[in-house]
Amino acid sequence: MSEVEFIGATKRYDDGTLALDSLDLKVEEGEFLVLLGPSGCGKSTALRVLAGLEDITGGEVRIDGGKVNDLPPGARGIGMVFQSYALYPHMTVRENLAFGLRRARGRDKVGEAEISSRVDDATEMLDLRAVLGKKPRELSGGQRQRVAIGRALVRRPRVLLMDEPLSNLDAKLRNRMRYELRRLHELHGTTTLYVTHDQVEAMTLADRIAIIADGRLQQHAKPLEAYHRPANSFVASFLGTPAMNLIEGVAKDGVFSAGGLSFALPEHLSDWHGPGIYGVRPEDVGIGDGGDVRCIIGGVERLGSNAIYHLEAGGNRISAVQRRSGGADASNGRSENETLDVKLAVPMAVLFKE
Amino acid sequence: MSTRTLAERWYVPAEIGALRVWLPFATLVNLVIAGGELLRGEGGSPRIVLTGIVLLVLLRWCLPDGEGGRRRQFARPVGLAILLLGGYSLIHGQPTPFEIWASSWLIVPSALALYWLSTGLSGKWSVGNADNGVSELGLARNRLIAPRLEKFALHTFLIHTVGLIVVPVVWILDVAVSPGNILGGAIGDAFTLEHFRTVLGGENFWLWTRNSIVVAIGTTIVGLLLAIPAGYAFSRYNFSGRKGAMLVFMLIQMFPGIVILVPYFMVMKTLGLLNTSIGLIIAYSVTALPFCVWMLKGFFDAVPRALEEAALLDGCTQVEVFFRIVLPLSLPAVAITALFSFLTAWNEFLLALVFNTSNDAYTLPVGLSSMIPATGQQWGDFAAASLVVSIPVVVLFVLFQKALIQGLSAGSVKG
Repeated sequence: MSEVEFIGATKRYDDGTLALDSLDLKVEEGEFLVLLGPSGCGKSTALRVLAGLEDITGGEVRIDGGKVNDLPPGARGIGMVFQSYALYPHMTVRENLAFGLRRARGRDKVGEAEISSRVDDATEMLDLRAVLGKKPRELSGGQRQRVAIGRALVRRPRVLLMDEPLSNLDAKLRNRMRYELRRLHELHGTTTLYVTHDQVEAMTLADRIAIIADGRLQQHAKPLEAYHRPANSFVASFLGTPAMNLIEGVAKDGVFSAGGLSFALPEHLSDWHGPGIYGVRPEDVGIGDGGDVRCIIGGVERLGSNAIYHLEAGGNRISAVQRRSGGADASNGRSENETLDVKLAVPMAVLFKE
Repeated sequence: MSTRTLAERWYVPAEIGALRVWLPFATLVNLVIAGGELLRGEGGSPRIVLTGIVLLVLLRWCLPDGEGGRRRQFARPVGLAILLLGGYSLIHGQPTPFEIWASSWLIVPSALALYWLSTGLSGKWSVGNADNGVSELGLARNRLIAPRLEKFALHTFLIHTVGLIVVPVVWILDVAVSPGNILGGAIGDAFTLEHFRTVLGGENFWLWTRNSIVVAIGTTIVGLLLAIPAGYAFSRYNFSGRKGAMLVFMLIQMFPGIVILVPYFMVMKTLGLLNTSIGLIIAYSVTALPFCVWMLKGFFDAVPRALEEAALLDGCTQVEVFFRIVLPLSLPAVAITALFSFLTAWNEFLLALVFNTSNDAYTLPVGLSSMIPATGQQWGDFAAASLVVSIPVVVLFVLFQKALIQGLSAGSVKG
């Protein structure tokens, strides 16, 4: 178990693209950290820089306090699960698992007995006994996934890296493997960095989430904290489905106005002055009683368990979620072009400075 | 006519469809036959074939269109005329396989046409008697018959193609086992192994074989040693001049051998490599290199980078990554490249002829050609030697075919 630290880590590619912009991030021992962000945001680059597959162009990467910038990938004590699994196609599952152990040299050299006992352990843990003699192409997607994890773990890595490991699985298998991954982490306890663009994976797997955009760290927090107290409007819009309503406007004397829309700010935001972005999650928007903002219903998505309204108010688009309570239809029979009064000034609302 | 149903409008018997395609093809074949007979200058039969061609064109022109027009009335008489013509040529020609085959290209199409135009649904349709019931029945029948006709047509075509390739081989085989050193004569009229005895018993043949083997294996080894690292570098590393070098490789491949012959000769002469195996090995390796590098580069490109990265993380050095991961996965390509290098060296004639002036340094192709001097050709020996020389090539192809098919990389990445 080890801790990992990025200190001002910067990666600029030869063509000038800045993939990592002075990233500062600390991963605690045994922590499961998820790097979350849209594609091309630099999260995979962070992982590859840590693994040594990309050279770092500025700053430092430390593992257990020691700088690893100039160590070759194999010497950093890292196990990695690739998006494509990257199993060696010409080797059996057993050979795949043992390959890394056999490569270890000098002080790290592992004896044959130790190799086979570690492979057995991994086989046991990942339920791979039946496929040990098979080649990767004979395995199902889920089995390949487990072999890839096994191959990363048998070397007892200081840090386990996973680069979108579930994205090649179908939806059903993905749900099961997600649960499986969390269970495995509890079992082996290795410090883990996990890259994904899927917020559901991030929310369910992570001890903490690091949200990255444009090569910069946006927020580093526990999943629910990031959800409830997003550090900026990017995080707010990225986490949660449907996305948080973000209304650009001006706050003055406890009233927030945006275009033709204006309403009294909730108590905890009432002393805000000047321009800002008002954020309220669709599921927090109050529908029905005490609504002080009149909207026109542009459309309703009826999902059974709840209904999503697409509303228009004074030139602003707002979405709101209503859960089913009693009746068969969560939208209570409301339909397009009718008006609906909603309450935006709720205790969960947030305000960002641009 | 607007009262006709969809079935009536659509229905054309599969047999008629087949005739529409195959009558022109039969015409084409007969043209080839006519051409051959004109060249051979044997009187009489070209006239029959040419008449047949005219009649075939006529038959195609008066094939019925289901409307019951006037033209269709000529179809059967014309067909009958072709049949009679074919029969006449069969009876009056010599009973050689070629003559029988040639006549059958008049007889079979016309007989089929007569039969189909007179009987069954296609017969009814031909005289304009296809009402809706007949058409629906016919459409259903087409689904059964059309695939069979297609299969028959395909096989006819393939058999002719194979015949075109096999005939020369059979011919040379016949020359090799016929007594005396003559070209021609009927196929399979006599059998002797004297030529094989002469060739295999002579010192020269084994000397040339030794030279050829040394040169071919040497070329393969040198070629692979150069092409594998080059292909890998082109595939994985970005260096200045990479694109240019790849392009130049292509350009070299496009020069005809004769262009580089003189410069090569000067180089070899200066280096004192004429009449040596090493000279040929160098020349051949260089000739085969562009193809090999491109081939291997393409294969290395297909090995996912993630595999190499995984191996790096597993503690491999760059060299180990290449030998333990990339090379084993590219074995099929290496096999193809090796085969290509070997065959280039084994079959090459021009350079070998120019570089080697002494009998001791001849390779097999040069040695074989020396068996056809201006006076007193030894065709029998030559044919026997040619067959022996092609054996290794055939064996190699059979062996390497398996390597070609091996899809080692399948399933390595993604589901």
